[in-house]
Amino acid sequence: MADENNQKEPDDITLSGEPAFSPAANVDPEAAKLPMSGVRVIDLGTFLAGPYAASILGEFGAEVFKVEHPIAGDPMRRFGTATKRHDATLAWLSEARNRKSVTIDLRQKEGVQLFLRLIEKSDVLIENFRPGIMEEWGLSWQELSAANPGLVYLRVSGYGQTGPYRRRSGFAHIAHAFGGLSYLAGFPGETPVVPGTAPLGDYMSSIYGAIGILLALRHREKTGRGQIVDIGIYEAVFRQLDEIAASYGLFGKVREREGAGSFVAVPHGHFRTKDDKWIAIACTTDKMFERLAEAMEQPELASSSLYGPQRQRLAARDEVNRLVIEWVGSLSRTEVMERCLDCEVPVGKVNSIADIFEDEHFQARGNLARIHEDGLGEVVVPNVVPTLSATPGRITNLGPALGNATYEVMRELLGLAADDIKRLRQRKII
Amino acid sequence: MTNSNNVELPLAGIRVIDVATVIAGPYCAGILGEFGAEVLKVEHPIGGDPLRKFGTPTARGDTLTWMSEGRNKKSVTVDLHRPEGVEIFKNLVRQSDIVCENFRTGTLEKWGIGWEVLREVNPGLIMLRVTGYGQNGPYKDRPGFARVAHAVGGIAYLAGMPKGTPVTPGSTTLGDYLTGLYGCLGVLMALRHRELTGEGQYVDAALYESVFRCTDELAPAYSMFGMVRERHGPTHNDFACPYGHFPTKDNKWIAIACATDKLFERLASAMGRPELASSSLYGDQKTRLENRHDVNEIVRDWCGSLNREEILQRCFATGAPAGPLNNIADIFGDRQFHARRNLVAIDEPDLGETIIVPSTIPRLSETPGEIRHLGPKLGQHTDEVLTELLGLDDQQISELRKKRVV
Repeated sequence: MADENNQKEPDDITLSGEPAFSPAANVDPEAAKLPMSGVRVIDLGTFLAGPYAASILGEFGAEVFKVEHPIAGDPMRRFGTATKRHDATLAWLSEARNRKSVTIDLRQKEGVQLFLRLIEKSDVLIENFRPGIMEEWGLSWQELSAANPGLVYLRVSGYGQTGPYRRRSGFAHIAHAFGGLSYLAGFPGETPVVPGTAPLGDYMSSIYGAIGILLALRHREKTGRGQIVDIGIYEAVFRQLDEIAASYGLFGKVREREGAGSFVAVPHGHFRTKDDKWIAIACTTDKMFERLAEAMEQPELASSSLYGPQRQRLAARDEVNRLVIEWVGSLSRTEVMERCLDCEVPVGKVNSIADIFEDEHFQARGNLARIHEDGLGEVVVPNVVPTLSATPGRITNLGPALGNATYEVMRELLGLAADDIKRLRQRKII
Repeated sequence: MTNSNNVELPLAGIRVIDVATVIAGPYCAGILGEFGAEVLKVEHPIGGDPLRKFGTPTARGDTLTWMSEGRNKKSVTVDLHRPEGVEIFKNLVRQSDIVCENFRTGTLEKWGIGWEVLREVNPGLIMLRVTGYGQNGPYKDRPGFARVAHAVGGIAYLAGMPKGTPVTPGSTTLGDYLTGLYGCLGVLMALRHRELTGEGQYVDAALYESVFRCTDELAPAYSMFGMVRERHGPTHNDFACPYGHFPTKDNKWIAIACATDKLFERLASAMGRPELASSSLYGDQKTRLENRHDVNEIVRDWCGSLNREEILQRCFATGAPAGPLNNIADIFGDRQFHARRNLVAIDEPDLGETIIVPSTIPRLSETPGEIRHLGPKLGQHTDEVLTELLGLDDQQISELRKKRVV
């Protein structure tokens, strides 16, 4: 697992000698059967929005090269909780999975030339700089597609490649706010909170990006032509908000923060148990409420004269919630869960990460991948989703050391001589 | 199928049967439809997809959520509880490429149209199976909704003020959309595999897994250091400062996210206090995190002294990462949303009204997706599909209809 991470440039290169690195030893036999096998992806992005698309493709068999600045590398290497490996936080280790790192300085002309040679030999390019930066470096779409007319090019940015705000710096946190999600998280009239995790929008925009890449690859197979996939992080966030646009457009309704609840259904929220833990209950339909009333041993609550129909529950929202709060508060989490599950009420623990590690279902589904990393021991990361029956994805390695494949790529893929590689390195171009 | 520029869309010629309900499975079919697939929405003849009743009703009865997310689909009613209905369904599957379903585990099997049966009907079939907990494991038979998936997958626990009630992470349907996206990815991967080998397969997607996958280093940090992340209100956990939501003088909110030292330097200069970013003060992330209370206080005071628009203009001038917390009214007035055409107005002739919905993403330069029409009426395309695809005649169809099979 960690072998690839330890690949280093051999110190004793001689001009006549065989390269110490043998490509055949590096072929991943599992990858050959996977759907993205034979597809080479260049990930030029930083942090997560965009790079996660490369991770997904890598999980399903693509060869992914992370191109990084020779000195600093991806700032994601320093974002999150530090580990004993000076160039890798835990976030980097997990999300830079299945890549090899290649250092090239794109601020130098020779670096750009090398990069274009790499593009010639690749299928997909992913970047997430502020729009205009690639062009400044001499890597416009015109230049890239001249090097490789079949190139599929994913561009992720805060606001997309067009429009008045395209040059603004964008992070998921800003995109959650701009895209309308943050406004909705929290209690009515109170401080809006982070919608669960800070990089949610980075993941979402990357999944859209990966879908775009797969669609563009289909188009390329038919026509030989590449294209650009353009997504703003805020767009990915905004697209998740069900009917918020339609109901404002038609009825002028501005949705506000709803605390732990939801405007469409009651009871639908988070409730505190006697032992000071939390559960989620979601009675989306009348049938679900009937089951809950049964679990509460108050079946009469679901009668048509009381709270049977959703409309009546919505009208008596506070009273219905009060009844559920009282009932849940009178029992331990385990007891509430058991009673609800017996009656098939949609219920779940509001899990902390400690709960998740103890959960038998997470174990059974293999959601926590345990990967041995030299010098660090076992690192536990979220496993691949979704699960494919014939061609399941896999994790081959965690976030690589900076430049662990630079030599391999320069020598094997671009055919540079060892002393040229040395010279490029001395000049900090690679 | 070609788009309005007469370019063939990437999924032209692919037929999808969407027998799923509400959002998770159907959203996958919705994306496939935007990029050229023909999507047949198979619904129960009475009532149809419950999504038709989820949200705000229109004059036609179907809700706005249905109108938006039923986009590009054709509605075909078939009662799968009836043997004749099952036969019709199998005949449709025989002529299709993809089936999306999200019944509870075992339901399709009970009706005699589980994976093993359908793959015999059509060996190249790709089947997306969405459930709350996946097709195996001890909880596989539990009912699953996005609300519950947010809780089980670990993000509900993280949303809210420290020690306060965990809140909805913005929207109750996030997990549905996320799972639709992962499902769509899986289906497209499976299509590539089928083109290479002729072999179909099924994609097993669980709502809680999609949510859990988006939790950055939550799992490794617990396993390595025993760190249990808690709710952090409007700010980020221990990674960056200042990072949060700040109220402005005109009683609005802005988001600021200084993920790196460089970005804080830009914020300090937007605040007219570049000295804050010096190495002796708050120049590096570690110092800012140690003094987060003071740093947040400085930013809060500054934000509270100016109107939202002024703050944003100053931040944009220096490249500091800031943005408004938009509500939907802000979004409708926003120039970027307009320039990117993120909102499209679609005329619904039978409603006599225009409905505004989010447009197609991501944006492809050569083969952009499109919305051809919004959610169809229940059974609007039953006759067309039964006639053209299955070769039934009028009399056969009217008999099936009399027996409520379609």
